Amino acid sequence: MGRLSEVKLLRWLFILSYFAASTLPLAWLVLTSIKSKADSISVRPKLAPALSGEVAPGSIYFEPNLDGYRQLSQAYAGTNRAFLHYLGNSIVVGLFSTLAAVLIGTCCAYGFSRFRVGGARDWLFFILSTRFLPPLAVVVPVLVMYRQFDLENTHLGLVVLYTSFNLSLAVWLMKGFIDEIPPAYEEAALVDGYSRFQVFRRIVLPRAAGGMAVTAVFCLISAWNEYGFAMTLNNQDAITVPVYFAGLQGNVRGLPWPQISAGILIFVAPIIAFTVLVRKHLLRGVTFGTIKR
Amino acid sequence: MALRGEQGPGRDWIKYGFVGPALLVLIAFNVFPLLYSIFLSFTNADLVGGAYQVIGVLNYEVVFSAVKYAAALRTTALFVVLAVAIELVLGFGLALALRRRFAGRAIVLTVLLVPMMLPQAVMGLYWKLVLNGNYGILNQVLGALHLVQPQWITDPDLKFFSILLIDVWMWTPFMMLISLAGLNVIPPSIYEAAAIDRASPWRVFRRITLPMCAPLLGLAALLRATDALKQFDLVAAVTGPNDGTTQTLSALLYQVVFRDGRVGLGASYSYVILVLVIALASLFIRYLGSLQKKHGEAV
Repeated sequence: MGRLSEVKLLRWLFILSYFAASTLPLAWLVLTSIKSKADSISVRPKLAPALSGEVAPGSIYFEPNLDGYRQLSQAYAGTNRAFLHYLGNSIVVGLFSTLAAVLIGTCCAYGFSRFRVGGARDWLFFILSTRFLPPLAVVVPVLVMYRQFDLENTHLGLVVLYTSFNLSLAVWLMKGFIDEIPPAYEEAALVDGYSRFQVFRRIVLPRAAGGMAVTAVFCLISAWNEYGFAMTLNNQDAITVPVYFAGLQGNVRGLPWPQISAGILIFVAPIIAFTVLVRKHLLRGVTFGTIKR
Repeated sequence: MALRGEQGPGRDWIKYGFVGPALLVLIAFNVFPLLYSIFLSFTNADLVGGAYQVIGVLNYEVVFSAVKYAAALRTTALFVVLAVAIELVLGFGLALALRRRFAGRAIVLTVLLVPMMLPQAVMGLYWKLVLNGNYGILNQVLGALHLVQPQWITDPDLKFFSILLIDVWMWTPFMMLISLAGLNVIPPSIYEAAAIDRASPWRVFRRITLPMCAPLLGLAALLRATDALKQFDLVAAVTGPNDGTTQTLSALLYQVVFRDGRVGLGASYSYVILVLVIALASLFIRYLGSLQKKHGEAV
């Protein structure tokens, strides 16, 4: 008895303390989003919302309010536009780059899955290696290139860049999914006189739809979270949310923590929802499909 | 499985039609920029885009003699080693602890995985609130426990470790996820055999669990290391990219190009960084290749 239950106790202690360390910062984020600006930086900790009545100064309770959320539609001191404007930029850039990466990536993965392409292994590893390049090492020539084509500060510029940056992920994930689709139907259809493109559209795409959705989620999250490229290629028109938040640092009026927290929560809500939706595929997603279970 | 009618010269356009567009995009946005920046690295081009001249290897001489470069290299190396080691040990430990089924396990796992999906730049900013020396909740808790309340973000000796702490918070779940996959592959029959042999738990761990997980742990460590080597977002958010005590290679590159405006010099810095990234990435790719050969489609 003794030793075994001690191990069990330690095990649960470890799980509980890590769980607390992992989730408490997120809980604090939620609390901060419903505080007033003064309460968010109070030297006396404000731990819980007062559910009713007066709040004595110096108590651990604070009066909850939704001002942080309301202010998201107003421009904060020193910034040009409100949070929602930048959220719009993030949505446009995220959606279009994801769409493009998944479409181009699925075609490419299908080609590598079903045809004998010369040097396929090397090409696939080349594709994977592009993911490892640090954005800041690639961004200088891209910037010069973008000036040439007037793509600096544009949504299109970021969309194209994110498409290329997500292609490696899309190709590798989709290759995994398409390899799992038995080619028997396609062979039958080809014998029946379908063209390769018809086969791809009518037979492969419907069967790959689930995999494409999972791939899209991972591409969208990468584009959504990207900071290095977005910050260096943009200073005016296509600023995404991470760049907007970063730009609030050093603001003359101080950081509006309730508003920032509310904005972060709105910004990461879709990520958390998607994480729950694709939880069975997370392993695939973070290892480029190299580990399947 | 291409049918006979689709093979042979002349019909190759079908397969290249499928794989071509992706390869073209990747070449345009990866190979071309890299070649172009070789050229830039031999010039004194600036950010404004004015006229520039070829100045030979002068930039590289500057890079290798720069104290900043040596410091950034040290910071990055320390960051990669510490982040990967701590996250691997913690993540593997968590996976071992969470290995057995219990009620609510799926929910606990999903919740634990959330931080690694979040935007680093944004969470880095938020952690500045948690870690603030005067009104941060961490120091308020430490104060209530009558413990020291360090200046996490502003103390030059601590800044680096604060960034490391945030990185550990974000990426330990990644190691946990892959470790769990590694543990799943071990067939229960091996443990049953060990139980019959009355092997001690430590021996079972050393002789069965660890070696059978090792290939996937190696994969996870390499993947995380290539990622940590690029670290920029957290540094930029927490201390700003120009802070000498926390400046990683990517942050230094940012400073050279975007604050000092020296594009030519930046290009040569980026090459020096790329050599490291490519070395680590090719190590990863080789490792992956050998795993795939050994275990087939399972890995």
